Amino acid sequence: MTARRITALVVTVVASLVVGVGSAWLWLTRTDPAGQRVGPWLVNLEAGSADASMHTRARIALKALLALDRRETLYYVADHDDAGRPLRAGCRYSVSGPIPPARWWSVTAYADDIFLFPNPEKRYSVSGENPTGRTAGSFRMVTGPTPPATGSVEWVPTPGDGGLILTLRLYNPMPEVQTDPGALAAPRIELQGECP
Amino acid sequence: MSAWSTKPWQRWLALGLAVAVLAHLLTVWALPRLIMREAMSRIARETAAQPAAQAATGVYLPPPTDHTQRRIVMPSPDLLYATCALDLSRGPARVTAEVAHPRYWSVALYGANSDNFFVVNDRSPAAQRLDLWVAPPGSDRAAVPAAPDATVIEAPSANILLLMRLLVTRDPADLESAKRARESLRCGDRAG
Repeated sequence: MTARRITALVVTVVASLVVGVGSAWLWLTRTDPAGQRVGPWLVNLEAGSADASMHTRARIALKALLALDRRETLYYVADHDDAGRPLRAGCRYSVSGPIPPARWWSVTAYADDIFLFPNPEKRYSVSGENPTGRTAGSFRMVTGPTPPATGSVEWVPTPGDGGLILTLRLYNPMPEVQTDPGALAAPRIELQGECP
Repeated sequence: MSAWSTKPWQRWLALGLAVAVLAHLLTVWALPRLIMREAMSRIARETAAQPAAQAATGVYLPPPTDHTQRRIVMPSPDLLYATCALDLSRGPARVTAEVAHPRYWSVALYGANSDNFFVVNDRSPAAQRLDLWVAPPGSDRAAVPAAPDATVIEAPSANILLLMRLLVTRDPADLESAKRARESLRCGDRAG
């Protein structure tokens, strides 16, 4: 083999490795995960499941390692508001809707690294128990860098000006959403006021 | 045969494509396994680094979840966790707990590829006195020294991760009962 051919071989293999690994990384981190859209939320039906495709499994490992199977918990994740704009920590959002049909539900705010926002008061989520699973009543919460003017609504602080990810968890979801997670009456995510 | 003759650049392109596709698939396949391996070895280290009495239970009890937890993504601030890494290469391992926690709790098992292959929650009949035997893949159930009322689960891999979740509401009694419950968890006994 000539030196030229060896060089060509090395260049081809290295370039192909970069393309292969790079495309995997981009695919896993930049594309929307496979799932079902419910309003601004995306619910992944294969999280934690042995039926998950190779790409889903890798994406869950990166973004929601140790997720539970859908029979135990449904995870609805939003990074856009109702109008389709990307969620930003520096803006104020109202999240509201009927009490979700699950034994226990919570809405948690995450920074774009998928960890909790620094917060000395440890207010990270709004949640509720719903032992009967009947969807009676509704909830409302506000996220944003500063407390809302009215003190009566629950507030989750989101300091900084990076991205914002909201996760709605339904622990022991009721049968109607467990079989069809798209049937959830999706909580609304509405921008409040001006966004800096 | 002339239809099959290829030019050198076509052969290079075919080689490049094959390597790229293989590298892509291998990356996607390996990623969850590498992340799980790292998580399990970290849990084993954290378990061993605890005071001797807790280390002997085989269980790592992380502090209540807050924004300083930056190890496993998307932590739930409403849950208290307990976790252990089980090595089944020397045979089945037993997991026990006595839980009297009035809220949601669950014990979930994950394989080396990150799949959640088993979960039991507080509404399961066997939950109040949890007695699980986790057997390595392909093992003979009859050889597992489990009590008749224990649950025997065949794991999909020799290394597995257990995660216990206990719901803690704002009711201060929850944190106490959740702590007691997770302190009762024992991972990896083999004596039967």
